Amino acid sequence: MKKKLLATLMTAVMAATALAGCGGSSGSAGNSTTAAPAAAPADNAGGGSEAAAPAEGGKDYKIAVVVKGNTNGWFIRMNEGIEKWAGETGINAWMTGPTDTDSAQQIQIIQDIINQDIDALCVVPVDPAACEPVLQEAKDKGIVVICHEGSNVENCDYDIEAFNNAGYGAFIMDNLAELMGKKGTYTTMVGFLTTASHNEWADGAVAQQEAQYPDMTLLADLPRVESENNTETAYEKAKEVLKKYPELTGFTGSCSDDTPGIARAINELGLADKVHVVGTGMPNECRELLKNGSLTCITLWDPADAGYAMCELARKCLDGEEIGNGTDLGLPAYDSLQVDESNERLLMGNGFISVTADNVDDYDF
Amino acid sequence: MNFKRLTKKTEFYIAVIILAFCLLVQVRSGQFFTGNNIVDLLRSMTIPMMFCVGEMMVLISGGVDCSFPAIASLSMYFVCTKMDGMFDNPLPYFLVAMLLGLCMGAVNGFIVAKFKFPAMIVTLGTSSLFLGIMQGILGSSEYPLTSGLYSLGSTKLLTAVNAKSGLTSDLPVHFAFMIILVILAWLLMNKTMLGRAIYAVGGDEVAAARAGFHVFGTRMFIFCLSGALAGFIGVCRSSMLLTVSPNNMIGMEMDVIAACVLGGVSLIGGRGGIVGAVLGTALMTIVSNSLILLGVSTQWSRVFTGLIIIVGTAVSAIQEQQRKKKLFVTISDKAEVKG
Repeated sequence: MKKKLLATLMTAVMAATALAGCGGSSGSAGNSTTAAPAAAPADNAGGGSEAAAPAEGGKDYKIAVVVKGNTNGWFIRMNEGIEKWAGETGINAWMTGPTDTDSAQQIQIIQDIINQDIDALCVVPVDPAACEPVLQEAKDKGIVVICHEGSNVENCDYDIEAFNNAGYGAFIMDNLAELMGKKGTYTTMVGFLTTASHNEWADGAVAQQEAQYPDMTLLADLPRVESENNTETAYEKAKEVLKKYPELTGFTGSCSDDTPGIARAINELGLADKVHVVGTGMPNECRELLKNGSLTCITLWDPADAGYAMCELARKCLDGEEIGNGTDLGLPAYDSLQVDESNERLLMGNGFISVTADNVDDYDF
Repeated sequence: MNFKRLTKKTEFYIAVIILAFCLLVQVRSGQFFTGNNIVDLLRSMTIPMMFCVGEMMVLISGGVDCSFPAIASLSMYFVCTKMDGMFDNPLPYFLVAMLLGLCMGAVNGFIVAKFKFPAMIVTLGTSSLFLGIMQGILGSSEYPLTSGLYSLGSTKLLTAVNAKSGLTSDLPVHFAFMIILVILAWLLMNKTMLGRAIYAVGGDEVAAARAGFHVFGTRMFIFCLSGALAGFIGVCRSSMLLTVSPNNMIGMEMDVIAACVLGGVSLIGGRGGIVGAVLGTALMTIVSNSLILLGVSTQWSRVFTGLIIIVGTAVSAIQEQQRKKKLFVTISDKAEVKG
């Protein structure tokens, strides 16, 4: 009897939390819908105002952007880009997503949205493969589908990435080589050996070093270290590597947890001017380290630009404009898109940026 | 204690494995027995060791707690974001986090003790619930650490310098907290009636109740204690990291449980002790922090860690089997007499 009561109670609690979750996400979706037209200051020059012109020719589109989790700082920043685009073009574009990064919830939200008379759907999928059926359904309804961070999605018109992975790796290496004086031994750190993007960036960095910096060498005994996506592990591993290999003077970090962890290790070991690290980092997490000099620069791409680019690409598709090599989406990071050789749906910008102590306060995520 | 009795203890074999492994690393790298490496290892051990103390008590009482990383993360995230800048003294942060942890532990304890649901399933469920609250309702993301905890995190007990390489390593003040916690747990488990109750309840619930121990109260106490400890440890972790990293502790439960079992703590309750748990954690930490020094490549590190866990657990399992065999013989002798 008691167990039955408890089971009922637990079911009720679960239902309540599920409802609370839905309420949260639809609530914030509502907020961003209302916020979008309100955010009007079109202070961005150049491409933005050009983009606005065709839209004013009478087309009134509705564009929904479904992200991995709308409470995540990364996507809050992305929303700024979407609101900026909506303000400049006057087109109704808004961001929504599950409160928590959850594939099943995200698919449910996409399902709800495609039943709501929208013209274009932009998705940052949690699990690209799991999204295929619902994206297929969207395409069948004639909705334009744009993906981001889902380069292997089949049922989309285009997938847009901030950069090609090898190019980003090369960018990390260029920054590291400068700090190391273009000579010395380095190694690479990734979240897991199985994380495709992290390893492609690290491979890109190594390829760039081999091509451009002959006086640098990759640590032969330990060319790749795993941080298990954990700052503390990155810190511990970096310390161990520096103990074992005193000749090492550089690290690249792929995961955003690698870079601050390595920087703390270098600092604590008293090697601040001798060993350098460059890699992906989140501004909020690295702010202190950048300001106190433990880190010189972190590399990343700006999610606001990605949000802006997705909406602009969706509009171009809706307007039937031709898209291919060299397409300009009105942002410096996406002014000349590149089509992937093996996948014609995959478009890439050159959207990587480096953040230093001077400009870290411009980014709040 | 004479040597023969010592060799019958699981703890003895774990200590031998640790020593052998340390010597192996020393021979291969020449870096193991250096001041800065020892300090690094003690630092890495601090947090897992504290978690292990809590988990050990839950396991001995016949339960298991998979929700402590979630409790630690949620309490830590709540006090660090909602009370940011309110106090310069770190103490209120710890107290509030422990109180929150205690409440969450009480939820676990109540469901497990009152309705006798399997502790593993209950705590897996509440773990997901607590993480959901942190990620959904509190909208967790990286957050800067409040200044009171930042200064605590920067406080060091000592700094070790390696004379040869010039590398320096700091031992944070949290290491002292860990030592105090281990001593308190030892006193609780070995010198108090409550400690006896925990062993009794874990060994045989019915017998414990007949002997006059309060089974419900003991179970409630143990989960509340585990929760409060988790809250405390969560704040320790963020002040050691010098940043509020909400997802940093997720997934630690399996390593901590493995460390307990390595040290001879029984998964079905009633057996084990603080010395074993400490040695088990030490072994796990030393192995995972020495593979690079040992020259094991990243591709092979998991294989190596897995082997150490299996060998270590086999040692305690064999000990246990031998103990049971003896027990069995005496019982069957009696049975023959009766028949």
